[in-house]
Amino acid sequence: MHEVSLVRSLLNQVERLRQAHGGTTVTRIEVEIGPLSGVEPVLVREAFDLLVADSDWPAAELVIDEVSLSARCKQCDATFNIESFRFECPQCGSRAVNVTRGDQFRLLNVTLETPQPMESPA
Amino acid sequence: MTTTTRTIPVNRDVQAHRKQQAAEQRDAFTRRGTFVVNLVSSPGAGKTSLLEATARYWGNSRRMAVLVGDLATERDAERLRPYVPVEQLTTGGACHLELSLIQQGLQRLPNDDYEFLFIENIGNLVCPASHDLAEHLRVALLSTTEGDDKPGKYPKMFRTSQAIVVSKTDLLPHVPFSVDAAVADARQIQPDLAAFSVCASTGEGIADWCRYLDHERERLFGSHMAEQKVDRT
Repeated sequence: MHEVSLVRSLLNQVERLRQAHGGTTVTRIEVEIGPLSGVEPVLVREAFDLLVADSDWPAAELVIDEVSLSARCKQCDATFNIESFRFECPQCGSRAVNVTRGDQFRLLNVTLETPQPMESPA
Repeated sequence: MTTTTRTIPVNRDVQAHRKQQAAEQRDAFTRRGTFVVNLVSSPGAGKTSLLEATARYWGNSRRMAVLVGDLATERDAERLRPYVPVEQLTTGGACHLELSLIQQGLQRLPNDDYEFLFIENIGNLVCPASHDLAEHLRVALLSTTEGDDKPGKYPKMFRTSQAIVVSKTDLLPHVPFSVDAAVADARQIQPDLAAFSVCASTGEGIADWCRYLDHERERLFGSHMAEQKVDRT
């Protein structure tokens, strides 16, 4: 159960982004979680609910994109999804494959509210 | 003043910064000739016993040190202390080691010119898989009492390891465990895994394991590093 530690790191990164972009608050955080990311979406959400309540933007919403595991064959260059962690190319049968997606916990987008000067009437 | 919403595209690994720090630390280890092995397993698989057997086998012929992670006690460090410099990293209940703990432990070791530094991780095949500790080699230990169908249940750990060591082979006559089946299961996930069988109490397989460590270190650093003391200026 290391999700708390990783979500804490995520919230720190979001807070730095908010400051860098002059945001007044954070409304939405979109992340990607794959089967080989090492984190459980359910536990990420629990950790988020716990930690965001103590942040400066407790109403921020977490959106989790659960992606599948994708790979590219080193032999024949085919791209495919990996099911049940069987690292094998369906095209040529090679087991020399590179994972291209689904092995990370990624921060995709952060939505902020930023101050904007009122438009002067025409 | 009114507010407007803006979406900032980031598209970055949450652990990107930590991975970068680990890569820098690994470079520092490489420069001083220290080959770092991260040993992972479930609790009780025999990580400490394997390190004891390794230290006994090598005697004074290699400069090795151990950083041992534990949730609460110093027991593993006490076992290793007669053989090698060892520092305990107590996580206070955390399920994995992080790089900052390794770096603190390094400061407490008596020297910094070890040829081999072993990190005995917390007994857990899940969380430690996601944490790069600046190691050159990740080795997953699996004991014969755990069942030969375990690798498939921990895909991230076996995918990110370079070797599997089956321990407690002296119990093979008494347990329904096939070394071949366990290794085949692990290689479904990571075909490049090197595989070893050891019994730390009898010493069986320890010579092969130690030869592999020497070989991997040489392959990475070149043979000239093995005898040469790293100049610290």
